[in-house]
Amino acid sequence: MKGHTLFNWIFTILAAMVLLFIIAPLAGMFFDSSFSEVRTTAADPAVRRSVWFTLAIAFASTLFFAVGAVPLAWIMARKKFPLKSVIQGVIDLPVVLPHTAAGIALLGFISREGVLGGAAQKAGILLVNNGAGIALAMAFVSLPFLINAARDGFAAVPERTEKAALTLGASQTRIFFTVSLPQAWRSVVSGFIMMFARGMSEFGAVVIIAYHPMIAPVLIYDRFNTYGISAARPASIIFILVALLFFVLFRVLATERRVLFKREDDASD
Amino acid sequence: MLRTEKLSKRIDAFSLKDISIEVGKGDYYVLLGRSGAGKTQLLELICGLMNPDRGRIYLEGEDITYKRVQDRGIGMVFQDLSLFPHYSVKDNIMYPLRVRKMNLKERVDRVQHVAAGMNITDLLLRRPGTLSGGEKQRVALARTLVTDPKILLLDEPMASVDASLKDNIRRLLRRLNRNGQTIIHVTHDFGEAISLASRVGVIHNGRIIQEGTPLDVFNHPVNRFVARYAGIKNFFRVTFITSYKSASAISEKRTRFRLPRGEYPSSGLLIIGSSEVLLSRQGASGFGINNIRGVIDDIVPSPTGFEITVNAGDYFYADITHREMEESRFVTGEKVYVSFRPESLRIVGNGEDTKEY
Repeated sequence: MKGHTLFNWIFTILAAMVLLFIIAPLAGMFFDSSFSEVRTTAADPAVRRSVWFTLAIAFASTLFFAVGAVPLAWIMARKKFPLKSVIQGVIDLPVVLPHTAAGIALLGFISREGVLGGAAQKAGILLVNNGAGIALAMAFVSLPFLINAARDGFAAVPERTEKAALTLGASQTRIFFTVSLPQAWRSVVSGFIMMFARGMSEFGAVVIIAYHPMIAPVLIYDRFNTYGISAARPASIIFILVALLFFVLFRVLATERRVLFKREDDASD
Repeated sequence: MLRTEKLSKRIDAFSLKDISIEVGKGDYYVLLGRSGAGKTQLLELICGLMNPDRGRIYLEGEDITYKRVQDRGIGMVFQDLSLFPHYSVKDNIMYPLRVRKMNLKERVDRVQHVAAGMNITDLLLRRPGTLSGGEKQRVALARTLVTDPKILLLDEPMASVDASLKDNIRRLLRRLNRNGQTIIHVTHDFGEAISLASRVGVIHNGRIIQEGTPLDVFNHPVNRFVARYAGIKNFFRVTFITSYKSASAISEKRTRFRLPRGEYPSSGLLIIGSSEVLLSRQGASGFGINNIRGVIDDIVPSPTGFEITVNAGDYFYADITHREMEESRFVTGEKVYVSFRPESLRIVGNGEDTKEY
């Protein structure tokens, strides 16, 4: 038993060191800032605007791309097809790319000279230096989180329940919405939250696409460059607190599934 | 009512080959086979979850081979029951009625009616995760029956039910069938087949190897595999010796069997049911009876008494009751006579079966 205790001690110490590494810089930042500094920065309209803008764009971007990402996740979980592992590699690609490189690649695509950007411009929409471009940059780097989580969720749904629904007369569409999605819901929402969280904290890809309007990570970088660390620190604290608040809020909502996803009987009876 | 014509389907390394069965209206057809024999795949072909590579399926005269699953009017209860865990029992049963866009009142009436029939009215508000195996089985049946299927397909319906509740489900299934429900029931359990089936099909390695009434299959197994399935353990590969006066057979281990007079092939497989084998210390008397001397090798308790294995060169298995055991007090190592009437011996198939399964 002695060996077992020693094992536990070593693992506990190693784990604690890693946790400390995460917590210490954040805690240090909080201790190094005075409350009045934070309050003054929080009252700054530029900071407020930037934080809300970041949250709204990250949310909109996640919601918009979920429309295609969730079906893609279902296909990856359920269908067998040639080059499936290549497609999975493509889905994971944004995670391994340097984000600035991702931004450059995306810029070529959505700038006026790019395929999408050119088409959008003809329709009177500009994709660079505005919210739409930022949303695309956020989505580009954060989509794998939603797709992969949702794919795991769909894969865990017993296929037999879908087959049973077929024998009971349901169409594929109905089965997706009444059998597959409700059972995979937790994973889909969890992926949604991860994509949202990853999107709103994105800097590298966004800064290439649009320095202005400033999302919070760019604003923090801008303050640091212009005024130094003491000016960047309170803005960072505010953004971290707001982001954490929303992150926790979504997690709570997601665990109470029925708040977000009404049961079929509530909806139709 | 349902007829399949040379259905074939290849699934990875396994394939169903030339499956032709016919199930009449009101039949209780049991498809008997070991796991991996292709039973579930055949059900999936019939209900349309898979398409065959070759062959046709006819239901009430209509060719439904490539008809959509949803439109076939065939109900299926899966082995794992596949209840929707996120719905209540009521919503599970109501699911197919919603699909059919039935109005609420009619839906509720139908659910109440079928729930009463399945004796699950008090479970309607529960979630499947909180139910026992037997309760889940009833809910799954109710969810399928509420659609009024022309044929009900059941994949190992006793598999998730405790032994003590199997009788309940058996009664329920018999009642359904008596009320006119045509059923195809897949199982690996011969006892289950015999207690329910009006017809039995034995499936092995993707082929139907025998079809008939349970009694037919039990009394005239076409091969050793089916015989073993029917619970027969006494098998002897023999050479037949016939003359105009008598008939006999000699096994590979030189055991000699007296047979009723008649026509026999030159060699084949003899079987005898364990319950037809008698054990005694003196041997049984009677005209033409077989008395073979051997040594008790093993005595194993069975549901009805004991199964005694006797080594007489060949191994014989005999079932004896508790009372017979109390009277005889057989012990292992003891010398006994194995006795049976010549008429109890049966030849498997056409006598040419030499295939070992």
